[in-house]
Amino acid sequence: MMSTQHSIAAEKFQEDKKQASWHNETLWFVREKRDRMSKSLPEWEELRTIAEKIKLHSVSNLDIYLEEFSKNAEANGVIVHWAKDAKEHNDIVYDILSKHKVKKLVKSKSMLTEECHLNPYLIDKGIDVIESDLGERILQLNHTAPSHIVMPAIHMTRQEVGELFEEKLHTEKGNSDPTYLTRAARASLRNDFLTADAGMTGVNFAVASTGEIVVCTNEGNADMGTSLPDLHIAVMGMEKVIPDHEALSVYTRLLARSATGQPVTTYTSHFKKPKKGGEMHVIIVDNGRSEILTNNEHIKSLNCIRCGACMNTCPVYRRSGGYSYTYFIPGPIGINLGMLKDPHKYTDNVSACSLCYSCNNVCPVKIDLADQIYEWRQNLDSLGAASSSKKMISLGMQFLFTHPTLFNTSLKFTSLINWVPRSMAFGLKEWEEGRSLPKFAKESFTSMWKKGKIKTIKKDEQ
Amino acid sequence: MKIGLFIPCYVNTVYPEVAIASYKLLTHFGLDVDYPVDQTCCGQPMANAGFENKALPLANRFNSMFETFDYVVAPSGSCVGFVKDSYPKILEKEGCLSEVSSKVYDICEFLHDILKINKLPGRFQHKVSLHNSCHGLRELKLGSASELNIPSFSKVKDLLGLIEGVEVVEPAKIDECCGFGGMFSIEEPAVSICMGQDKIKNHINTGAEFITGPDSSCLMHMGGIIEKQNLPIKTIHVVQILSAGL
Amino acid sequence: MSSKEYILQNIKRNIKTRLDKPKMDVLGIQFDHLLSQFVDICKAVGGDARILEKQEDVNILIKELYSQAQSIGSNLPEITISTFNPDDLDDPHLLNGTDLAIIKGEVGVAENGCIWIPQNVVHKALYFISEYLVIILDRTKLVNNMHEAYRTIESNDSGFGIFISGPSKTADIEQALVVGAHGPKGLTVILT
Repeated sequence: MMSTQHSIAAEKFQEDKKQASWHNETLWFVREKRDRMSKSLPEWEELRTIAEKIKLHSVSNLDIYLEEFSKNAEANGVIVHWAKDAKEHNDIVYDILSKHKVKKLVKSKSMLTEECHLNPYLIDKGIDVIESDLGERILQLNHTAPSHIVMPAIHMTRQEVGELFEEKLHTEKGNSDPTYLTRAARASLRNDFLTADAGMTGVNFAVASTGEIVVCTNEGNADMGTSLPDLHIAVMGMEKVIPDHEALSVYTRLLARSATGQPVTTYTSHFKKPKKGGEMHVIIVDNGRSEILTNNEHIKSLNCIRCGACMNTCPVYRRSGGYSYTYFIPGPIGINLGMLKDPHKYTDNVSACSLCYSCNNVCPVKIDLADQIYEWRQNLDSLGAASSSKKMISLGMQFLFTHPTLFNTSLKFTSLINWVPRSMAFGLKEWEEGRSLPKFAKESFTSMWKKGKIKTIKKDEQ
Repeated sequence: MKIGLFIPCYVNTVYPEVAIASYKLLTHFGLDVDYPVDQTCCGQPMANAGFENKALPLANRFNSMFETFDYVVAPSGSCVGFVKDSYPKILEKEGCLSEVSSKVYDICEFLHDILKINKLPGRFQHKVSLHNSCHGLRELKLGSASELNIPSFSKVKDLLGLIEGVEVVEPAKIDECCGFGGMFSIEEPAVSICMGQDKIKNHINTGAEFITGPDSSCLMHMGGIIEKQNLPIKTIHVVQILSAGL
Repeated sequence: MSSKEYILQNIKRNIKTRLDKPKMDVLGIQFDHLLSQFVDICKAVGGDARILEKQEDVNILIKELYSQAQSIGSNLPEITISTFNPDDLDDPHLLNGTDLAIIKGEVGVAENGCIWIPQNVVHKALYFISEYLVIILDRTKLVNNMHEAYRTIESNDSGFGIFISGPSKTADIEQALVVGAHGPKGLTVILT
């Protein structure tokens, strides 16, 4: 009766106990690596505080920094485009590709292109789009979406990847050794890198003072993809801009430590000018971001540097998997970004939080993720999205709790609850699925107090 | 010093022994403790479910009921956290101040920070696994949360250290949520129960006989699972251990 | 109105308060022994680091380390064991099949094993496409952390620059670490 789509999907995820437990433990292991990294730096909390402030400053001066960035990038010979929404973004990409007669595009990881549904759009137009991050490539071959923003294929077992590669890359039957499979993907993608006409990357940071874009990967796929063909297209959500190298030094210290528990990503690439004889394009995308600026309660979500630490620590995400969320970004940040995107469409994720606040504490840019989820819950009623049974329970509680006489009278009959058919009482059925109902005491504290039993308690005992 | 005893609704009805233990502890230190009998619920269950406005009349009642006290003390970190952090925001919408928010304390916090107690009589010859509840830790800062790079501390452990015989241990995933979360526990039963089971398993693996913590709501949730599945561990509120000799 | 104007106008209208730029002068972690910390961290990130002794010849050392390498590319004059100068090639695609690339780094970062390489070859593909990579770094060019590193490279004006820390790697299959995803399968830093 009270089920959200998330809770239904989570229950399903829990059916395969072994895999669910593996998922939980594996992501917790990443959280622990993050803890060790953060504790190896005495200045960790100072860094988080500064990182938060830089982002708040940058976002609140977004127009100034975007203009500075684009001016400097253009001076460096980069062609800068602006896209109001996903459609304009996709059109710009296609326009560039068709001008260069691109048949094959190799991409490195970009959540923005997921947001804009770029791949199906380009494939529809006859472009061969190749995802080159291993996890993304696995998912592309499998025709499924990422379930985590940093570890996109974390929900798949090695056996599943092995079977997929057997079919698509003709690897040995039954071989699911990660090194073997990674080498197979390397060979296959090496061929794609060598035959691609253009490379596309996302942007981790856009530096206003220099006009550079910075891309962080471990695999080196962004670099392979952009150092062979002459055309590089980089796409960025407009909140990615930061003031200068001083700010960049803060984020490069936080990102990988928070994301995977590494001291830094293997590659931190600074693209400033096009390759000699080539072209470099940067597309700055709004797609709803400028609207978030007016929203005081949720403006901090624009701080996000997409490290995924909130997912790894979230006890609900770990036990329900990325696909249990209806927005393409799961976990605490995804709940919030989904609601900002379309609060009617993505309300079902708001239940996926026990308000434990762990996400607030791991976030390297101090987004108040749990507080924001709490705020969204307050808005559900006005959105017409509140569960009617939850509302009835809350109304009932309010009535009971604002009438102390009634409350105390009902307490006298609390044992009655044991006589009510379980299915009739909201919530009881769900509670009882795995828990015994708490037993009410013979006498409440209030009743004992009124009878004077408490004040004499010591004497009684003596 | 006048103390208003704030007993959350479910402690009142399900765990009156926790309320009694709180009373004993506070009076042991010579405090003038009163219990406003018309108190009901702080309103957190409604607010966490998304109906903060339903908590507004409760916040008003709470304020008028407890305004004359020097301190308001309760054996539940979660409810205290709500009165402390959310009441000001809720009442602000009505243009009112929440006077009690600055003087409400979790009982462990109160004993540790205000009374600064350093002696308690009594023995408790058992091994207990400390349940670091989320709101106690991350809202009220009763201890250092595992995510933060700050000096390690635990006010609850400090207090338990005053009782002779008690051996305090902590579970793996030291402060992971037990999965209660109020309405969360019935809206997301599969995940909630799984979280509870995992948490209890970690507590059991310490070899402790009891799970103890400063928040009855977590203990209620875990207690429900322990009973249903007949698991080899019991729950006990911290104040029951601290008042063992009173 | 262009999309640029439209977006900027929207932003200007929607910004409610402008916050000041915070102080960012972080000192950052400091190490007592930069060199040994740097060597340790290079190993921790999956690579290796060797300190070149005074009497040692860098070419002999590399030859020992990568005795199997057939095709060795380097544009460094002091490298005599290279089999070709990658700068002589017209097309970066021709670099495919390079067993070992030997390049020069400018700054090493002790906190994370990063080495700053402003593009100092014609085709930057060399850094990524070769099977193994050797980076030669002056041991006096070590700094403690990224704050110091960015201050050091501030005046750099190459069109492309990169921090490399260890060999290419992935853990996308079940979080099992595999070294050598798309780029080099091994990386040795030689501190001169």
